[in-house]
Parts: sequence; structure tokens; C-alpha cells
Amino acid sequence: MTAPGVTTQTVPAPAKPSGKAARRIKDNLTGHAFLIGAVVCFALFMWYPMIRGIVMSFQRTRRGETTWVGWDNYTRIVADPSFWIAWKNTFLFTILALVVGYVLPFFVAILLNEFRHAKGYLRILVYLPVMLPPASALFLFKYYAYDPSEAGLFNAILKFLHLPTSEWMQSPTMTIPAMVIASTWMNLGSAVLIYLASLQNIPGELYEAAELDGAGIWRRIWSVTIPQTRLILALLAMLQIVATMQLFIEPLILANGAGTQDSATSVAYLIYQHGFFQNDLNGAAALGVIMLIVLAAFSAVYVRLTTKQD
Amino acid sequence: MSVPQYRKAAALALVAGLGLSLTACSTKSDDDGGTDAAGKVTITVDCQPVGAQKELLANWNADVAEFQKQNPDITIKSVSVGEQCNNPPDFTARLAGGTMTDVFYGYMTDLQQVLDSGQAMDITQYATKDTIPTWDSVDPALKEVFTEEGKLYAVPVKNYSMGLVYNKALFKKAGLDPEAPPKTWAEVRAAAKKIAGTGGGVAGYSEYSAGNTGGWHFTALNYSQGGKILSEDGKKAEFNNAQGKQVLQNLKDMRYGDNSMGSRQLLQWGDLLTNAGAGKVGMFIGAPDATQAIVSQFQGKYEDWAMGPMPGQDGPAKGTLGGGEGYFFKKDLTGEQVKAGLKWIAYQKLTPGKGQLDYVRAKPQNYPVGLPQPLLFTNGSEAQKQELELRKANANVDTANFKAFEENPVPIVGEPRNAQAIYAVLDSAMSGVLTNPNANIDSLLKTAETKVNQLQAAGS
Amino acid sequence: MSRTLISQAQLRRGRGRFLYWAVLAVVVAGFTLVFLGPLYWMVTGALKSGQEIAQTPPTLWPRDPQTQNYVDAWNNLDLAKLMFNTFYYAAGAVFFQLVFDTAAAYALSKLRPAFGNVILAAMLATLMIPAMVLIVPQYVTAIDLPIIHVNLLDSPWAIWLPLIANAFNIFLLKRFFDSIPEDLIAAAQVDGASPLRTLWSIILPMSRPILGVVSIFAVTAVWKDFLWPKLVMPSPETRTLSVGIYAFSGGTPQNVVIAASVIAAIPTVIIFLLFQRNIMSGLTTGSLKG
Repeated sequence: MTAPGVTTQTVPAPAKPSGKAARRIKDNLTGHAFLIGAVVCFALFMWYPMIRGIVMSFQRTRRGETTWVGWDNYTRIVADPSFWIAWKNTFLFTILALVVGYVLPFFVAILLNEFRHAKGYLRILVYLPVMLPPASALFLFKYYAYDPSEAGLFNAILKFLHLPTSEWMQSPTMTIPAMVIASTWMNLGSAVLIYLASLQNIPGELYEAAELDGAGIWRRIWSVTIPQTRLILALLAMLQIVATMQLFIEPLILANGAGTQDSATSVAYLIYQHGFFQNDLNGAAALGVIMLIVLAAFSAVYVRLTTKQD
Repeated sequence: MSVPQYRKAAALALVAGLGLSLTACSTKSDDDGGTDAAGKVTITVDCQPVGAQKELLANWNADVAEFQKQNPDITIKSVSVGEQCNNPPDFTARLAGGTMTDVFYGYMTDLQQVLDSGQAMDITQYATKDTIPTWDSVDPALKEVFTEEGKLYAVPVKNYSMGLVYNKALFKKAGLDPEAPPKTWAEVRAAAKKIAGTGGGVAGYSEYSAGNTGGWHFTALNYSQGGKILSEDGKKAEFNNAQGKQVLQNLKDMRYGDNSMGSRQLLQWGDLLTNAGAGKVGMFIGAPDATQAIVSQFQGKYEDWAMGPMPGQDGPAKGTLGGGEGYFFKKDLTGEQVKAGLKWIAYQKLTPGKGQLDYVRAKPQNYPVGLPQPLLFTNGSEAQKQELELRKANANVDTANFKAFEENPVPIVGEPRNAQAIYAVLDSAMSGVLTNPNANIDSLLKTAETKVNQLQAAGS
Repeated sequence: MSRTLISQAQLRRGRGRFLYWAVLAVVVAGFTLVFLGPLYWMVTGALKSGQEIAQTPPTLWPRDPQTQNYVDAWNNLDLAKLMFNTFYYAAGAVFFQLVFDTAAAYALSKLRPAFGNVILAAMLATLMIPAMVLIVPQYVTAIDLPIIHVNLLDSPWAIWLPLIANAFNIFLLKRFFDSIPEDLIAAAQVDGASPLRTLWSIILPMSRPILGVVSIFAVTAVWKDFLWPKLVMPSPETRTLSVGIYAFSGGTPQNVVIAASVIAAIPTVIIFLLFQRNIMSGLTTGSLKG
């Protein structure tokens, strides 16, 4: 593994002794010319909106007139009975999705990597759901799998196996697990492919050596596979958390929004609801700022943990 | 490396970087100055039917062609915004973005939101007999809905009130009299139980609980009990009382007491109508044109559907929800544009025998003529007489199916202010009572009350 | 085939051999059921009538196949238009990300202008910010860009420009460029090559795998995104597949929605089957190694 921090030194470009300063200015200009496109886009769609979001969260726009309202938007957002429920649901989903959606593809990838037959077939199978538009995959679950009557696919199977059936999205306790199942099914493929790619870069000698030392399969996974794919594992964990915190389309489609008594409401859905159902963009911006702070705290912890290990 | 070459490269990179990102941005410019040199006025209008509604779309396009022929100095540009012309989040997005058309569709409940967005235009001085020949016949109550502080902001083009829509075929199957719809909620419950008893996963009575439609129907059910959603001054919720509880209790009794509402819940508009089109719904509350959607969009049949008045708790309903649609005008239009827009609306929506009221054209098509709708004109006015005559002469549905509804009028109550936001809150109470056998009605209403009070406090 | 977790030899002998085939059989059967099963249900479900869908227990094969559902889906949802939009946005996203993110990563890695590190840090700081957090201010920015006051709604730029601001891609590219030896570049400069020339004829040819990875991520981002395109593409003419299918679901029978989903998946499946090998090898070599 090449440590990302290690970079080579730039060889100073051969310059004529005269006009050194002019030369440096020119070099700088060239460098910034290459940067400008990306910087403009970052400025427009990342840096500026971040500041704008914070400003908006302290304002209120009514009849085209904007006024400063202090913490009003925040107190209103926090006093909303759905606020804490949404956070609870979002965390629960994130944790469950991490346990299932993050660990499962790793083992699927290890398994697929061992097979000498049917490799292409299995790989395509796993990737098939990724190729459905996300809305389509969720409609498949909503209409067929999670139908609460016995006409539903899951209930028909459960009944066939003489197991108790469920009302799925209509049952407050099943709402989040059901969203995790659907979300894992539709997203598993990408993670498996990325893991597979990184598994193929592990030198075979390492396994050889570990085996000679008498390490069993689990031991080899623990002491060879995981360390060798550590960077990818850490990267995907972060991406996974950031992605699942944004839980939105699953409640929107599977639960037609909030679900039964807010059992599907997520923070992201609440932002959408405030902004676009309740005509309260400022409140939605305040909720966005709260989410930003929570994630900033989380990433500080993450950076702390990962840098300590190195 | 030679200097000129170097400079060329840097310039190139700059052009690539900066140039592209700049041209990137300058794509959309305001395309309409409204009036061009030749004195032609152009306006954009939304809510053009989508491609799936083949005949409606053909009718609309024919209307545009005919209108432009009659008014050679006006050009109408039609924009389709989807199957539902006003899907609340999309509507909000358009308002926030200022991307509405010059003349744009909205619900009667949208006035506050449109005003809040600062995008509305006062059209009081333009809406007259000169621009809309039938203007004096249009029901003043409807104009009032779109008026604030004496200023008119939209022209009503559709008006409905709700009743009990029921499936005659299922009534017969369950041994009920298809000519005598239930008149009270107790009768609805008894009928629902019988219909559900016929099996096959049929819901005797079906109800919404998601996508704002749950709150919309809670409001309608509450009106039937004589209840209200907001207090007189509009500042407080007023549904956490005996009437509101009765609404939820009735639903709970049917859903879990009798198991007569089917197992699929969390329904929104299209879900319920899909089930209805498949013959799986015995009764639901709705406006007369719900039957049109069932037939034209959800594969149902006209002859199956009939309508009775809104049921009440012990006797006729104390009120029924009425609502409707209109066209707003975007601020900063020129007077010429507003006049052109009004003329178009007059032609397409408010002239008996033309546009949406062209029953001769609609008769052979798969769209109903003879529904007791749109209730646009004042009783006894000239326009109303004309419209009614044409409607009767060209009816293609059995008007007898709507007789019970028409002959038992119930007082119409309008929707609350800030309706869509309130409906979103009330969805939760509806979903609670329809999906949780142990739902506590008192706490459901209490939570909804807290939220609505907050909304109203924030909105004013 | 190189050595993996379990040695080849072990799998060829007696018990290992039996276990291998047993596990393979179970996995092939299980995966087929889990991943292909729902899709079978989807293809056949779209052929059922409304009544049949609601029937208990569900039927394995439609009794009276309604091919009309597929025809309706194609016509009523204007799927051709939705597909074209989606592929158009994806192609643009790949192009602009490759151009601008590569240029930026090259500048940060090799040209290193003044304040380059500050800019890089400011970019990387956005890595942990999910789109949802900024959705409202981003949206109000897109409807009225600062300074030039242009409205991007319904314009593909509303999708392309925010995608360029992708710190993850710039990070990946920069890391890859960092590993390209400076000597090569110095040699090119001695030969009188401009920075653009160096990028074009030395760096880029060596970077094919990572460019492939960035392209895959760009396509996936457009394909998977939902709320942003839903907000900035409000007109039916400009919608993406996912948003379009959702928008129509409210007023369309379930079978037709599902039929539309089936049709929508076909082109992507074909593209994946055609490029499967390239995608895999791209991911493998594309600096995604631990």
C-alpha cells in the first residue's frame, strides 16, 4: 500500500536566470488556469451554499421580503414532534445498514473471489439490481414484496414456510428493517464490485505465507484480507455512512413519505417536507445546518480514529 | 519552450476552464418580452394534458389552434407539468424557483402560498366582462376564494364537492340495494362489512393515509361531522374534539373492528383509484370526477360507479368539503399578457359549448359528460342554464347514477388556509388509526394539534 | 489465476473438492433466487392484470398475459425521452468531470500553484458533507446563480456543474497522478512540452484505469441520484428515468409502472454486459488497491 501522504518532490523547472519572478507568476497562472473550472463549481455549489444555508437559517422570507429572525427557525424545527423521531429513525437505519449493507458485501466478495466457476454469472447477478433505476427497484418492493396482504411475495413465502406474516411497511416495527433490506438489495452490487477489485490486488504469497504459519481461513481473512483492503474498507465505511444518513428515496417511495405515524420519517425527508410541502425553506435550511453539525462532529471522530491507527 | 507557445497553452486551458464554465451558465435567458414588434402577445400556460390522456390532449391542442385563429394576435404556449397539475412539492419548487408559466394552475388552497412566494399578480382590474364574457355568471363564492383584501389573484375554472362514491356491482354482489347508498356512517359501516364479506380481498370502504391525501380526507370526514380544522381566526387547530375523535373512531371500527377496509393502507391518490379500477373497493368519499380518473387512467368501467351524498353521523352530513382549481397570473406580466391569458381561460374553461364545456365533442370520447360538475356558475344565471342544457343533451353516463348525490345537497365548506401543510400533518393521524390496531386516538389528535398550532404560529 | 484465500490445490482434493462444489451450488442457486427472482417477478408481474396482482396466493405465471401494459408504459411515460435524458446527463457528467476534475487534480499534483494546498483542503472538507445538507441552499443557488443571475432549472447544467464539484474524484485522480514519476514530466518539459501537452500525451495515457473509475462513478451518480434531479428538472421533458417513473407512479396503474421499470433497466443491463470486463479491470487497476 502506498501511503497517500507520501508525495514526490517537484523538480524545479529549468528556468533562465533572468525573469525568475515573472516565470513564477506565469507558472502560478497556468496552475490556476487548470484549477479554475473545478474551483468555480466548488465555489458555486459547495462553499457558497454552505454559507448561504447558515445565513438562510436565521432568516425568514414572506411575500418576497426577507427579515432576520434569530433562532426562530431552529426553535420551530426542534419543537416539531417529528424532529427527534426523524433522528432516531435515521440513526437506526444508518446502524442497521452499516451492519448489513457494509459487512455483507465484503463477505460476498470474498466468496465470489474463491470460485473458479460461474464467476461472470454471479458477478452479473449481484450487479443486476444496481442497474434498475432506484425508483424502479423500490416500486418492485413496494408493490410486490411488501404487500401487506397474503398476495404479497414475502408474505406468500412466509406463509408457505408456515412462518408468521408481516405487514411490512405498515408495521411501525418493521418499517426500518424493511427499508434496510430493500436498500441493501439495490445497492449491494456496487460495493461487491469494488471489494472484488481490491481483493484481486492482494498478493497470493501473503496467503501462502499465512497458511504455512498454520493460519486457518478466518485467521487468514483477519490477518491478510482485512489489512490488505483496509483503505478501501475505511473509505467505503465513510461513504456508506454519509450515504445512509441521507435516507430519503426509501421512505418517499416505500412508505409514501412519513409511513405509519412517522415510523419512516428521516431527517432528509423532514428537510424535504419542511422545504417543499410546508413552504418553509428557511426551516429546512436550519435543519440542514443541524445535520451539518452532527456530521462534522462525526467526521472529527472518524478522522481521529483513522489517523490514530496509522 | 518558447514563450508564445506557453502562453497559447495557458490561454487554451483558461478557455477550456473558464470559458466552458461560463457558457455553461448562460443557457437560459428570459425568452418572453411578452409583446413583440408586430404587437403579438405570447403567454405560456401550464396544465396541458399529458400524452397518456390522448383525447384530452387532442382537445386541448384543438382549442389552442381554434383560439389562436380567433385571436390572431395571441400565441399560446402550452406546458405540461405532469399527470397531476399540482403535485404539492413540485408546485412549491416551481414557485420558489419562479419557473411557473405566465398563467399557472393552482388549487383553491394555494392562494396563501402563492402570495407568500411574492409571485402573484393582482388581476382585479382585468377580470371583467370584456375579457371573460361569462364573468358575471361565475359564482361569487368562488371568486371570493381567490380574493384577498379585495384583490383578485386567480380565475376559478373548476369546483367540486365530495360525496360517497360507490361500486354498484359490488353492492349487488353483497346483496345491497345499488340504488340506495348509505346515508350515515353507521350504514356505511354495515355496508362495508357486507361488501368485504364477499371475499377476494375487497375493501368495503377505502381511505387515504399518505401523500397529503389522508389529511385532505380527514378534513372532509370531519366536515361531515360538523367539525372544523382551524379556529375562526385561523390561528389554532380545532379538530382535537368530539367530532375529530368520531372520525377516527369510525375508521378504526371499520378497519380493525370489522376488518372491512382491506389490508393495504398508506394509500395515496393513485393507489386507492388503482384498487378501485381493479374492482377491489366498495365505497370511498370523493368528488364526481373521481369516476373519470378510475375509468380513463385506472382501467375501470363507468357503469359500475354511482354516487350518493356525503354521509353524516346520525342523519345527513353537516357539511361536505368543496374545493377547486383556478389559474393564477405571474407577477410582472404586461396588461396585454394578462388580458390574453384571461381570454384564453374564458374560452377554454368558462364558455358553455367550448373547451372543457364542449360536451358535443366529449360525448363520443372516453370522458364522462353528465357528472354534476363543475359547479362554476351561479344558480339561475344564463351561463349555468346553457351549460346544464348542453350537459343533459350530451350525457354519456347514466345521470341516474348521480341522482342521489344531486338531490341531497349538503352545505359546502371550503378547505382551511395553509391546507397542504396541515394535510401533511393529518396524514399521520390517519395512518396511525389505519395501520395500528392499538392506536390511541386521543394522542394521535393531540400530536397533530401540536404540530398544526406550530405551523399556524410560524406562518403568521 | 493467482492464489486467493484458499489454495487451488486444497479445492481440488477430496473433501475440499466436494465442499467447493457444494458451496458453489448453494451460492449459485441462492443468488439466482435472491437477485434474479425479484426480477422475474417484475417481468411477469407487469404482465398480470390488476385483479390477478391482488390475488392470494400470487400466481407464478400470469394466466392471461397483458402485453398491453408494456405498450402503455412505453407510450404513456414517454420512456424514450426519459432514457435519452438520463443517458445525455450521464454522458455530460462523464465528460465534464473528466475535463475539469482531471485538470484540477493535475494542477494540484504537478503544477502546484500558490495556495494549491489551501484549495485542496477546502475541497476535501466537502467530502463528508452529504448532498442532503446543502439541498436547500444549493437549490436556491441553482435557481438564481450569484452575480450572473441565471436560472439553471430544467437545464442539464444544473446536473453537470454540481457534479464537477466532486472532492472524491479529485482526490482519487490526484493520488494517481502523484504516483507518476516526476522524471517523466521533467523530461517532457526539457523537450519543450507545455503543461497541457504534458497532461495530454504523458499523464492521461498512463491514467486510463483511473479515468475509467471516475467515469463509472460519474455514470452511477447520475443514475442513482433522485432528489436533486427531481428538484432542478421539474418539467416532464427534462426528467430522468428514476424521477420520471416516480412522477408517473401517482397516476398510473401499478402494472404499468412496473412494466416501465423493466423497460428502463434493459439498456443499462445491455451496456453492463458489453463492458463488464472493462469495468471490472478498470476497478481492479484503477488505484483502488488497499
